[in-house]
Amino acid sequence: MSVTTALAPRHFAGLPFSSWAFGIRVWIAVVVALYAGFWLELESPLSAAITVGILAVPTRGQALEKAGFRFLGTVIGVVASIVLIGSLSQARDLFLLVFAAWVGLCVYVACLSDGFRAYGAVLSGYTMALVAIQMIDTPGRVFDFGMQRGAAIALGIAAIAVVNDLLVAPDRHLGLATQLAALHRQVRDHAKTVIRGEATDAAATANLLRETTALRSEITSLAAESSSGPTRRAAARSTAVALVAELHAARVLKALPADMDLAIRARMSTALEEGGDERSLPDNATAALTWAFRELLRCDQDVREGLAALRSGVPPARMWRTPFYVSHRLAAEAGVRAALWLALASTFFVLAGWSAAEASLVQLTAFIGLGVITPNPRAFTVGALIAAPIAAILAGVLDFVILDGATEFPLLALALAPFMIGAAVLTTLPNQVFAGIGRLNLIFILVIAGLSNPQTYNPQMFLEASLFVCLAPALLLAAQLLIPPISDERRRQQLMASARREFDQLSSGPAQRYAPEEAMFRDAARIGKLTGAGVPGPQNLVILEDALTLFDQAALIRMCDASLRRLMGGPVATLADQARRALGRRDVQSIRQAASDIRQAAPEDERTRATSDALEVASLIMEEKRP
Amino acid sequence: MTHSFSELVVGDVLLAPFVAYAVAALVVFLIHRPILRLLDFAKLFSHPSIAELSVYVTILGVLTVFF
Repeated sequence: MSVTTALAPRHFAGLPFSSWAFGIRVWIAVVVALYAGFWLELESPLSAAITVGILAVPTRGQALEKAGFRFLGTVIGVVASIVLIGSLSQARDLFLLVFAAWVGLCVYVACLSDGFRAYGAVLSGYTMALVAIQMIDTPGRVFDFGMQRGAAIALGIAAIAVVNDLLVAPDRHLGLATQLAALHRQVRDHAKTVIRGEATDAAATANLLRETTALRSEITSLAAESSSGPTRRAAARSTAVALVAELHAARVLKALPADMDLAIRARMSTALEEGGDERSLPDNATAALTWAFRELLRCDQDVREGLAALRSGVPPARMWRTPFYVSHRLAAEAGVRAALWLALASTFFVLAGWSAAEASLVQLTAFIGLGVITPNPRAFTVGALIAAPIAAILAGVLDFVILDGATEFPLLALALAPFMIGAAVLTTLPNQVFAGIGRLNLIFILVIAGLSNPQTYNPQMFLEASLFVCLAPALLLAAQLLIPPISDERRRQQLMASARREFDQLSSGPAQRYAPEEAMFRDAARIGKLTGAGVPGPQNLVILEDALTLFDQAALIRMCDASLRRLMGGPVATLADQARRALGRRDVQSIRQAASDIRQAAPEDERTRATSDALEVASLIMEEKRP
Repeated sequence: MTHSFSELVVGDVLLAPFVAYAVAALVVFLIHRPILRLLDFAKLFSHPSIAELSVYVTILGVLTVFF
């Protein structure tokens, strides 16, 4: 017998040590980036420090992945800026129009991606604001400015990468394995509830799908973590896909008629818990029930193997991709809205006629970009509106109370400590409002404090910077009230319409692009978006039920279709073709007949029998509920 | 005795020779990463991140000395 003891994480001032360690790493990296920037006499050493603030994520792999996309986004943005300045610097109105269109395009691309890829896309958009808008009066310097910005960003990336490496920032795969294992427990509990014959909640199921698919972007960042990163990423992907497949198998089991006593149900639960096989079912169990339970056990085994591969860093037995659902229509709508917000704000600045307004336009463009990659852009703007004055006050305290004219670098480094560590620690809090304020303050404090060599301590510049940083979210909020972001209702409608459209088109074309399990993950990602769009209510519950019904049936049709395709070259090819046509028509009676014919044609063949059972299950599920 | 370092010029902007070496070392390191994976390099060390940074610094040093 072995006893394992889980050590609780140690705390200081109510926060785990890991949060404080993260704060200290960020502070050191900011100081290193600033020092190197001053030493190299960069034109904008502050950009290097801001880069560190932006790349402040608790784990190494995520920081490196974000750094890669930040650099790439900057290069694309600078090139686009040079093209824009070179072609339209003499036509200001057209210049602003093309600028707004570029930001809209970048937002569209961002909405077609997730994680740091989306961040890289919006960064390309607001880099044009940083470079082209700031250089609008001195177009000859745009290339030089772009190079300087690239150098500062590269320096910031190097600073955070070296500090993370030397101070042993944690790897994400350990936390990810724990999260996936916790989700596995929940999925298994759900399956055991189904086996016991108890009622299950559609919202809870959808939530499990959302939590599993939401890990996709974090799984992607494992590749940058270490040389074993790509292997662990493959293992984590397979685990996530198998988790979704296990949840689907549990839902199929739930939908099948089962008349079993408590002892058999208990045996089935034990088989699931201990990795048993379908022999725990009674001899008189239907073929459909046996198939569904075998699927559940197979998926559970896949999850366990995937988790073991993730922990040990060995390649998983199955290599599954994690496709991501994208809606081109929703992305285009978000892009158009972003361009309109920017056009409205630009018009306001042009009419106001402020000479230094470009600084605020730059901030506003960044808020637009960063807001649209969050689930609720308006809430992000409100968060920025709260965080900006706080940052202005803190930057004022740093500049005029703590430093107050000091010019020595060690004093600056020490003075930055409470602000950087405090803001970084805030980002690790579970409360999303505080975490968001911390994240924005980490950047705003540096922007408003305007650190340079030598530091000017000019109150007028400080007030201007504070005003423009606070004005940007206020103006954006006004624009978002005039032209609201995509509503939850509209998002739900689009997602459901696309789910229905894809369901209708299933099984009518050539070979599917994804394996059935991969396509299941993609559908689950769409349900995750549906769950994220709006507060759960009775109407939403009906929509979720519909979405889950489509998910169940689409997955079964794909599984049957894949099995039938494998039979196409064999002796039951004609029957398999008939079955595929019946599946395409969603004709339950014909599917059942085809299942029976295939079974009778080759009763001894394991593959044929499994296909016939799958068809039988599909017919029962499609008969039970029509989407 | 050290050899001379030629500066990198991109669009009339002079870049320090170190930038070229740093980028070249990064490229060499990334090319060798699959080999490190095959050798289970990460499992040989208690802190693989520091070991991999050391490999990068070594490549950078070798490039600087010999090229």
